[in-house]
Amino acid sequence: MALDKEQLLTLYRNMLRARRVDETIVKGIAEGKTASFFHSGQGEEAVGVGGCTFLRDDDYVYAQHRGHGIAHVIGKGGSPRQFIAEHFGKCTGSCLGIAANHYVEPERGMLGGAGTIGSAFPLSLGWALAAKKRGAGQVVVCFFGDGASNRGTLHEAMNLATLWKLPIVYVCHNNLYAQFMPIRDAFPREDIADIAATYGIPGVVVDGQDVIAVHEAVQAAVARARAGDGPSLIECKTYRFRAHAEGIPDVSHADPRPPEEIEAWKRRDPIKLFAEKLVRQGVATQEELDRIDAEATAEIQEAERFALESPLPEPSLLDGMLYAG
Amino acid sequence: MRQLPYLLAIREALAEEMARDESVFVLGEDVQQGAFFITTGLMQQFGPERVMDTPLSETAVAGACVGAAMAGYRPVADFMFADFMYIAGNEIINNAAKWRFIHAGKVDLPLVFLACIGGGARLGPEHSQCPESYIMHVPGLKLVVPSTPYDAKGLMKSAIRDDNPVVYFYHKRLLGVQGDVPEEDYTVPLGVADVKREGTDVTVVATSAMVHAALAVAGELEGRVSVEVIDPRTLEPLDIDTIVRSVQKTGRLVIADEDTKRCGVSAEIAMQVMEHAFDALDAPIQRVGAANLPIAAGYMEQYVLPQPKDLVTAIEAVTGRA
Ligand SMILES: Cc1ncc(C[n+]2csc(CCOP(=O)(O)OP(=O)(O)O)c2C)c(N)n1
Repeated sequence: MALDKEQLLTLYRNMLRARRVDETIVKGIAEGKTASFFHSGQGEEAVGVGGCTFLRDDDYVYAQHRGHGIAHVIGKGGSPRQFIAEHFGKCTGSCLGIAANHYVEPERGMLGGAGTIGSAFPLSLGWALAAKKRGAGQVVVCFFGDGASNRGTLHEAMNLATLWKLPIVYVCHNNLYAQFMPIRDAFPREDIADIAATYGIPGVVVDGQDVIAVHEAVQAAVARARAGDGPSLIECKTYRFRAHAEGIPDVSHADPRPPEEIEAWKRRDPIKLFAEKLVRQGVATQEELDRIDAEATAEIQEAERFALESPLPEPSLLDGMLYAG
Repeated sequence: MRQLPYLLAIREALAEEMARDESVFVLGEDVQQGAFFITTGLMQQFGPERVMDTPLSETAVAGACVGAAMAGYRPVADFMFADFMYIAGNEIINNAAKWRFIHAGKVDLPLVFLACIGGGARLGPEHSQCPESYIMHVPGLKLVVPSTPYDAKGLMKSAIRDDNPVVYFYHKRLLGVQGDVPEEDYTVPLGVADVKREGTDVTVVATSAMVHAALAVAGELEGRVSVEVIDPRTLEPLDIDTIVRSVQKTGRLVIADEDTKRCGVSAEIAMQVMEHAFDALDAPIQRVGAANLPIAAGYMEQYVLPQPKDLVTAIEAVTGRA
């Protein structure tokens, strides 16, 4: 499971690409270019990228909603162009501009997501059931937030996933908040990973700012799932740098989120931490990393231009979307 | 008279009722901040015991509200987006709506389910719905859909004081709409429609945000067509008498609501008018509503939601004045 230099740089590149896409959409909101709302995922890239980058193409991923799943999409090999175009409401977007914030690419195991938090659990249970029936060794990685874990759907799904020994890996982005609700008032224990004990499945806590730690924990759980040993739960301690959604107050209950807290977590920016580690361990020089950054920035600028230049969808396409056949 | 925006009118009603009655409390996700600013500041005034932020647990919130109501409180639960009420379908539709009935009136459920409805923000099908017809379909739930700050405040007070489960839908497009709100205490009774504009050629029954579209269109058509605009204000109880009286005067009816047209609120109102006043109709009733599609997001939203031009077309069709 030890990664070679190229693989390590892929993780770095993917986190940067995810960050640049996120920044592009945040800027797009300010400039009135986006077609809907946006929940920035800056600060949480290591979870999606570390969890998805070395999955099989035919593994299924239920992306967490934060960043509208950009880190998961990029980790899974999805298209930043289609992602941005969708957010700009254009017909070249992943959902032809109809969803304005979802990413779907069935060939890469991304079957979509819901706007209602907690829908991830029953839906991905079904994907895992299908994977098990098909018997081709696919796994499902279901990402969710600490807030989502408050929904009863988690318990119904985890119970069945365990009973049926389904190939599913639950990965929690515990970023300490669900919209304005701090975790301390939403969950009575320190670790969401403790839920695993109820079902007798492995539950581990990892540093969600450390892309390698996430990668290793997910790969171990994936191996267990592929071997037919059933689900696992991985909790990644992480943080969102920006407000719950663009343009709304950044609060905990009704008070501003503590600036010291935000600053402390920004010092643990997953991209910065990983760059320092790569240089410190002699894996890459700062120049190499700068070049990767420049390439990622150029790629995403091109994707933004593509999205801006793409036409709006034709209204007539709506009627053909509701029913198959 | 004093002007207030719709959202402040609702907040003022909540604050006044909480001050008046100790048993009233507010709960829901992020009510201390207020996702739509409806409940903002109430926590500072009444404390966290009476303005309770809950975890992301719609089922538990709705169920707790039903339970607390039976046990002597008057809870007001805010679901944020009305779309999330489906998650608590059992608690709302099976429990809240039916428990008084099946228990022979031995328990009362004085509660309010608050939620924000409607499109206009391009947020897609799980954040833009108008679930009025689902709620209106269920015996046991009252349904309030205010369109003006005055009505919003007066109806909220009636909803809280009512001894039954009341679903109160505020519209996201109306939050900033200004209107007259008296300083003194008043209520607007449930079940009394309001004639928002008098006219003689056609009756337009419009709900929630569509009331404003209807008034704008009526203004544009002035001189050509005289449009009477009726806002039922509550859909259960529904003041069919006021609607029927208007149709008897004008002979023509257009119904405009933002809910999906098929099996929508407009279908129910149209049928009731047929039952009560078929002979008064000089033309087939026309309906304006959302297309029979999920509410698309982004720029595509406008092709699913009813637009003012659809109202003009419908009015021209029933009056024969193109
Ligand atoms: C069923 C449901 N309830 C409420 C919401 C509103 N909402 C959107 S995101 C969110 C917080 C989710 O918290 P978490 O799962 O921890 O993810 P995070 O936003 O922190 O990344 C809430 C309450 C929703 N979309 N769906």
